[in-house]
Amino acid sequence: MNDPRHREGHVPRLRLSIVAVIAVALFASLFTRLYELQVAGGADYQVQAEANRVRTVQVPAPRGRILDRNGTVLVDNRVAVVVALDRSQLDELDDGERADVVARVSVELTRAGHPVSTDEIEARLTDQRFSRYAPVPVAVDVPEDLKIYFEERADDFPGVVVERTALRDYPYGPLGVHILGYVGKINDEELAEHQDETAKPYTLNDEIGKSGVEQTFERYLRGTPGMRRIEVDAEGDPVRVISERAPRAGDDLVLSLDVDVQALAEQKVQQGLADARARPNRDGSRNNGTTGAAVVLDPNNGQVVAMASYPSYDPNLFVDGIDAQEWAYLNDPANHYPLNNWAIQGQWAPGSSYKLFVGYSALMAGVMAPDTVFSDRGGYQIPGCTGIKCYRSNAGGAAYGNVTIQRAITVSSDAYFYNVGAQFWLQRDRFGGDDGMQNNLYPFGLGERSGIALTGEAPGRVPTPSWKREYNERVDGDPVWRAGDSVNMAIGQGDVLVTPLQLANGYATFANGGTRWVPMIALRTERYQTGEVTHEFAPEAAGEVPLPPHVRQPIFDGLVNVPISGTAVRAFSGFPLDQYPIAGKTGTAQVDDKADTAVFAAFGPAPAPQYAVAVFLEESGFGGTAAAPVARALFDGLSGTVPLQPAGPDGFPVGDAEPLTENTGGSYD
Amino acid sequence: MARGVIDLDRLPGRERMLTPRQRGRRREESLFRDRAPAAWKHVDLVLLATAATVSVLGAMMVLSSTRGTDPDVYDLSYLRKQVLFIVIGVIGMVLITLVDYRRLRDTAWLPYLAVMVLLALVVSSLGSERRGSQAWFQIGAFQLQPAELAKVVVILGVAAVLAGADVPLRLRRVGLALALVALPTALILLQPDLGTALVFIAITMGMLLIAGARARHIVILTAAGVIGVVGVLTSDVLEDYQRDRLTVFLDADGHDVQAEAYNSDQSKAAIASGRVNGKGYLEGTQTRLGFVPEQHTDFIFTAVGEELGFVGSVTVLGLLALMCVRIWRTAQIARDRLGMLICVGVLSMLVFQVFQNVGMTMGIMPITGITLPFMSYGGSSVIASWLALGLVLNVHMRRFG
Repeated sequence: MNDPRHREGHVPRLRLSIVAVIAVALFASLFTRLYELQVAGGADYQVQAEANRVRTVQVPAPRGRILDRNGTVLVDNRVAVVVALDRSQLDELDDGERADVVARVSVELTRAGHPVSTDEIEARLTDQRFSRYAPVPVAVDVPEDLKIYFEERADDFPGVVVERTALRDYPYGPLGVHILGYVGKINDEELAEHQDETAKPYTLNDEIGKSGVEQTFERYLRGTPGMRRIEVDAEGDPVRVISERAPRAGDDLVLSLDVDVQALAEQKVQQGLADARARPNRDGSRNNGTTGAAVVLDPNNGQVVAMASYPSYDPNLFVDGIDAQEWAYLNDPANHYPLNNWAIQGQWAPGSSYKLFVGYSALMAGVMAPDTVFSDRGGYQIPGCTGIKCYRSNAGGAAYGNVTIQRAITVSSDAYFYNVGAQFWLQRDRFGGDDGMQNNLYPFGLGERSGIALTGEAPGRVPTPSWKREYNERVDGDPVWRAGDSVNMAIGQGDVLVTPLQLANGYATFANGGTRWVPMIALRTERYQTGEVTHEFAPEAAGEVPLPPHVRQPIFDGLVNVPISGTAVRAFSGFPLDQYPIAGKTGTAQVDDKADTAVFAAFGPAPAPQYAVAVFLEESGFGGTAAAPVARALFDGLSGTVPLQPAGPDGFPVGDAEPLTENTGGSYD
Repeated sequence: MARGVIDLDRLPGRERMLTPRQRGRRREESLFRDRAPAAWKHVDLVLLATAATVSVLGAMMVLSSTRGTDPDVYDLSYLRKQVLFIVIGVIGMVLITLVDYRRLRDTAWLPYLAVMVLLALVVSSLGSERRGSQAWFQIGAFQLQPAELAKVVVILGVAAVLAGADVPLRLRRVGLALALVALPTALILLQPDLGTALVFIAITMGMLLIAGARARHIVILTAAGVIGVVGVLTSDVLEDYQRDRLTVFLDADGHDVQAEAYNSDQSKAAIASGRVNGKGYLEGTQTRLGFVPEQHTDFIFTAVGEELGFVGSVTVLGLLALMCVRIWRTAQIARDRLGMLICVGVLSMLVFQVFQNVGMTMGIMPITGITLPFMSYGGSSVIASWLALGLVLNVHMRRFG
């Protein structure tokens, strides 16, 4: 018995058990941990493992095109050459070689008219926001020669990749640029704003609509980027493509614009301003004719048929990035902000064109009856008021005798409306309180944004006693609303402001019998280049204006007579008003230290209106002299009296421009 | 195993119950004991089969983790080498079982000395450095890591020293055993390779415990071991990154340990993303794409976890546990103290390495350079595993005499 187990009794067996217990405990902890990792909590790690291996590269998709209501392409895509650098290839070069390639690329691009410094290239190459798995673009829209040059010398330019991309193309140049807008490289803020976008995610190199419908209809126009899912190894080197989804072009956007009418409107506004600048005023002062706008609406649904804004700019400047000098020009106040769409961003006093709404308010409130006769002696003394400001004379001091509302509109009797304004205020207990006049203006959409799908729209202003108090407490002016304020307002002066679109839409509302539509610019979207409709935009009513016949009729008749026997008679001379009656109103708004704003608003043909038009020409003189001829030229085209010329590549109708009707005498307003 | 215990205890009684004829045959067999044909009948086939299965699984996972990143192309070079290592290991195992372990005891000093010389040489200019640790000899296309072989020779040497000692062990005997361990441990710390050094501590503690060391000696040694490890961690022996790697599991959000945490994170992600059923053999993305550093060697278990899932991982761990059970049983039924000590030495090594290795892949143990026996890629590790297994099989098959 020399076996130690027997010699020493059971001590080793006890100790073997200790070993067993330790071993079991250690294995048990392994099994527990295994369960914890794989069964209880594996999901998060699964995501992590998947994220480890998959990188997604976006392949840009073409944007949808923009068409006019008849399918004419207003914004197209064209193929351009992009020079890009493949970082992984560059990184394989030694430092000297790499710097040399970058330097030579810089030289070649600069020589080709795309100046890029080596520092700029390096900055882009090191920008971590560019995908590692796609070349970094350094110059866009380079000449085709350069593409061939680089391709032929591929060995001398390792890492240089020449690709093609789609850029915006404008067959009609500046036509409709304020509506179309432009696209540009997405900036940091936009990128942050869109970071949750999952269907069409953005990357640093993407373009995005910056203004106009390019901006507001971005989600339709933007294509769905292709997705290339790449498997990478631990070093981040690509191993293979796991899946690939082809890029899908964005939808085409069909606008309500008519390209020929748009071209005509832009041409006529420009002509109207040019004529105004050439025409001295009666007092010998000059018109600067700085900015102008015209809007053509379909009153039956709110569709914008044309919307012109002057001055304009060339959207091609923005293709491939605008340079600093051009940008500075567009933002210099001396150039009257060509980027602004004055049709929705311009706010002017409407002058007498406001009388439609004030007349309506007076009849509705009972300040006047349709047949109330007022004696216009060429001026108006505000009751209970003393001082020189208490007597207001008609424009030019003309006296129109006994007028009803109909006649007051036709001849634009200020005295009649002075009286309306004064009575509204003086008898406010009878006529609806402090805001009696204003309350019947709001339904036409005055003083609020119309809701058109364009950014930057201004709200205009309907002044009220409470507005005046608040406003003047801020600017330290007179906070008290006086009868004079109501008197000013009644002729569309004073603190009243409207935008051209607002005025057109107010007239359209009256024209169609009282439905105020939200002006619409886009009719539908279509699958890229196929015409298959993908989405329809329905007209949207913003409200109803009650228009009882006894109220509507005298105003309507008054407006119809404006071109026949009123303030626009010369502008419309020769126009077939018997076949195509036009109901319109001139306006001449006085502005401190500036020439008058010429305004004309109208709709026609009068019994069953198809178009509502508003024209504003700033610093251009009388409405009947400067603005009405522009509107008349538009109606010439809209009515077919003068055949519409197709738009040309410069954005104007082809052929020589017809001169506007001369209207240099007679009527003032 | 319980049956084995009972058999041994009742051996004298059972012998009395044998018929004279049976007794005669038994005597007859014992005449041929030195030729030992009977020993082969007592080979632990379960242990052998388990080890073989684990080796094959290991080779499969080595392929998985070394095949290359391209899903359609297979690099078989590592697999071929690993199969070669297994074959060499099995041959070594067979050779070791040919000689009675009691004879090995007498010549144990020879391999011990040889390996100590190798360990001394590897930290000289002859050794090769990789990842801050000078632990290899480059021999043609192969690398020899003497520290792996040192485990086997130390087990044999310590068992030889302790087997004939009085119980409880005298301090001198404990000191002699410690000296045998201290020399290779010190040399390995010079490389430095803390993980492998820790294996020697585990082996020593297990063997001293079974050899009958006094409880107070064990307590003192444990304390000294803890102090030693802390000492190494705070001294300049380890490079900073090695220290970070060891302590990252204690402080995952801590200071400048990002790279080390990456290691641990990717390892955990690989295992955990396998979920219950795994991603399928050769389908693991973490594995194929190389997200787990050193996967085919120290982190081979992550390939199991990712591709074979909980089911496969439990199977592999279960097989390793079964090996431990069989080795433990062999320790129990060994016919002498030497055999028992050898088995406990191997058991300690196996349990510690499995726990340390698998534990580090799952983030419950620090990351140290330590292989998973039988599974990790590498000739030295595979061969040492099979040699150690040969020692246990040797003890098992000669348990009757």
